[in-house]
Amino acid sequence: MSEKSEAGFANTANTISSSKAGSSSKAGSSGNVGGSRRVTLFGRANSGKTSLLMHLTGSLQRPVNFPGTSVESVESSCSYEGCQLQVVDLPGVASLTPQSRDEQVAIDSVRDAATKPDLLCFVLDAGKLAVELRLLQELRGLGLPIVVAVTKVDVAESEGFPIDAEQLQRALGLPLVVVDGARGKGIDELRAQLALVSLQPAWLQKPSAANAGTAAESAPRKRAFSRSFTDKLDGWLLNPVFGPIFLTVVVLVMFQLVFTVAEPFMGWIEAGQGWLSGGIEAITNEGALRSFLVDGVVNGVGSSLIFVPQIALLIAFVTCVEATGYMARAVFLLDRLLRRFGLSGRSFIPLASSFACAIPGIAATRILGDERDRLATIAVAPLMSCSARLPVYVVLLAAFFPAYQAGLMLFALYAIGIVTAILVSLILRRTVLKGGHSMLAMELPVYQRPRLLLIGRHTWFSVKSFLVTAGTVIFAATIIVWVLAYFPRSAEIGATFDRERTAVEQSAPADQDDQIAAIDAREAAAYLEQSYLASIGHAVQPVFEPAGFDWRLTVGVLAAFPARELVIPTLGTLYSLGDVEASADNPDPRLKDALRNAKGPDGKPTMNGLIALAVMVFFALCSQCAATLAAIRRETHSWRWPIFVFGYMTLLAWLAAVAIYQIGTLLGFGT
Amino acid sequence: MATRLDSAPRGDLLRVVAVDGDDAISDRLATCGLWAGVELECLARAPFGGPMLFRIHGYRLALRRSEAARVVVQSQSDSGADPGANA
Repeated sequence: MSEKSEAGFANTANTISSSKAGSSSKAGSSGNVGGSRRVTLFGRANSGKTSLLMHLTGSLQRPVNFPGTSVESVESSCSYEGCQLQVVDLPGVASLTPQSRDEQVAIDSVRDAATKPDLLCFVLDAGKLAVELRLLQELRGLGLPIVVAVTKVDVAESEGFPIDAEQLQRALGLPLVVVDGARGKGIDELRAQLALVSLQPAWLQKPSAANAGTAAESAPRKRAFSRSFTDKLDGWLLNPVFGPIFLTVVVLVMFQLVFTVAEPFMGWIEAGQGWLSGGIEAITNEGALRSFLVDGVVNGVGSSLIFVPQIALLIAFVTCVEATGYMARAVFLLDRLLRRFGLSGRSFIPLASSFACAIPGIAATRILGDERDRLATIAVAPLMSCSARLPVYVVLLAAFFPAYQAGLMLFALYAIGIVTAILVSLILRRTVLKGGHSMLAMELPVYQRPRLLLIGRHTWFSVKSFLVTAGTVIFAATIIVWVLAYFPRSAEIGATFDRERTAVEQSAPADQDDQIAAIDAREAAAYLEQSYLASIGHAVQPVFEPAGFDWRLTVGVLAAFPARELVIPTLGTLYSLGDVEASADNPDPRLKDALRNAKGPDGKPTMNGLIALAVMVFFALCSQCAATLAAIRRETHSWRWPIFVFGYMTLLAWLAAVAIYQIGTLLGFGT
Repeated sequence: MATRLDSAPRGDLLRVVAVDGDDAISDRLATCGLWAGVELECLARAPFGGPMLFRIHGYRLALRRSEAARVVVQSQSDSGADPGANA
């Protein structure tokens, strides 16, 4: 057996007696004990494969991508009486004729001679026996030994379609084990079957047509006339009036979680960042090293870590809603609406996630079966105003708009993103993404209580994946911006401000500390004003002139291209404020005042409400996140889509900012 | 009387007569369990011409109306047989 004999998780199953295990099998002969076997879990999406894997191997494994794809599989191992079982969990497959990329990869992996497992474990959802038997029939054509694991027997029972396992096993002529994914019942027996079943079973030679007939007969034909719990709940949640209301509440709760509940956690991360910076300042001297560590490294790590609470809460919430069975209902209710916009009901989950962060949103597009639906969703997901845009909105709104207008403006900024997304999607679906076999055909599972262990596991791996994708890109981007903003260092500037400081220290006024801090801030601004970043800003300035941006805003916008949250600290330095916090709930009042009072060389204010609006709309529409582009590259396997997304969003953002400033000035709002 | 599944009234028991077409969509419908002779029942309709929900083979399947329109069905309720007899 070609096995990269990885010392697996030694399981307690070793102690199970084989007599108990072999009870329902005609296989289980001797001679198979020992060695190792590669087992693939095969079945539809939501048939309970993942929780089966967890129970089988007793460990939480990290999903890995198939080589060259973004399709995830989970591999784990266990042993039974000295036989190593290497178990792989594939994406769900509904038929051997693939209908999505995930299905294609899963089917290829059991067909390919190189990757073919020794044994298939077919996970049969008892809730839809007839459809499962059809898939099993196809699967037998592959010529691989099959062990059937029947899941969700309780669901079938409560829905009024009880299953007779013994009769089913006789009809199928395959080793069959009833398992309970929630409690882990039957798992030992399944493990024994997988380890002991003969790899050259006699049934392979049997004519399968005869089996099929009996198997179909064993399918129960009874129909439940009493409404199950799911039917009753659906009566409310899919009700034409109450259903959409409930869905709105669910979405509002989600936003509340992302923006309110996450806040204290984000505060702790900021505090930790401040504490770390303080510590570094205490043990390093003034100079490039300190600046690199504090403004580059700590700031770089912090600006990706800051999103972790929101992303974790969002993913936990979405996973939880999905596990209850409600997410499929949301897709059902929204399909018609999203269809009109050239998307699919299934686009709802990625798009809703993108309001927190586009990166998990783009990863979530994998649930879309049709490639064109998926690409359209990926292309517009970054237009949803993510949480990194919020601090920019809050600072500018607080500086230039009275409170009663600010709320409405904030709503409008979110709406601009959504409306633009609709238009872009409609255009894409009429041009490059025309046609396609978009389908809904989706199972609505029964409602059930979500299992915390699975939700925790999923959230943990998603956050890790975010940190790997976003963390590295944002970190690298922050370092690059730091280098551009720090160098070159002119000795002259240092000398000038040193003299000022010495003068203050000698006269020792009452507010000495404040004066020194002000000098430090002006020094930082002076350095930044002649940095490479500022040179680039001055060079690019003509591009943003028609939008009313002065050179400082242009530098802020440029610094924000790798990661939009960098605009606040950059503007803070440019306006000589020292460290400015980018917190969403509590905009730094100094930055607010500085923006309002900034004057150009001609003595006129460089900012006003109109320019602030142009800046905000620019941020709402612009693709200023290298990590999102990296995620799009990863999900589409080409540079075409990230380049397209960057191009259209940046162009739209610029056009909108220019239009707002020019038209606003014509109408007389620019004063 | 044969009708299309997209015009199925809620609560009626129906039997599939045929599924139109020979493409990815009809393949997918077959994968979901829609083949001649199968009984199904419409459970719900999403508002504004949205998808429809059916009980088929004991599970719940959501189909867009365009997908449901490919399925030719016959009403079981008026065939005289009492579907509850073997329940």
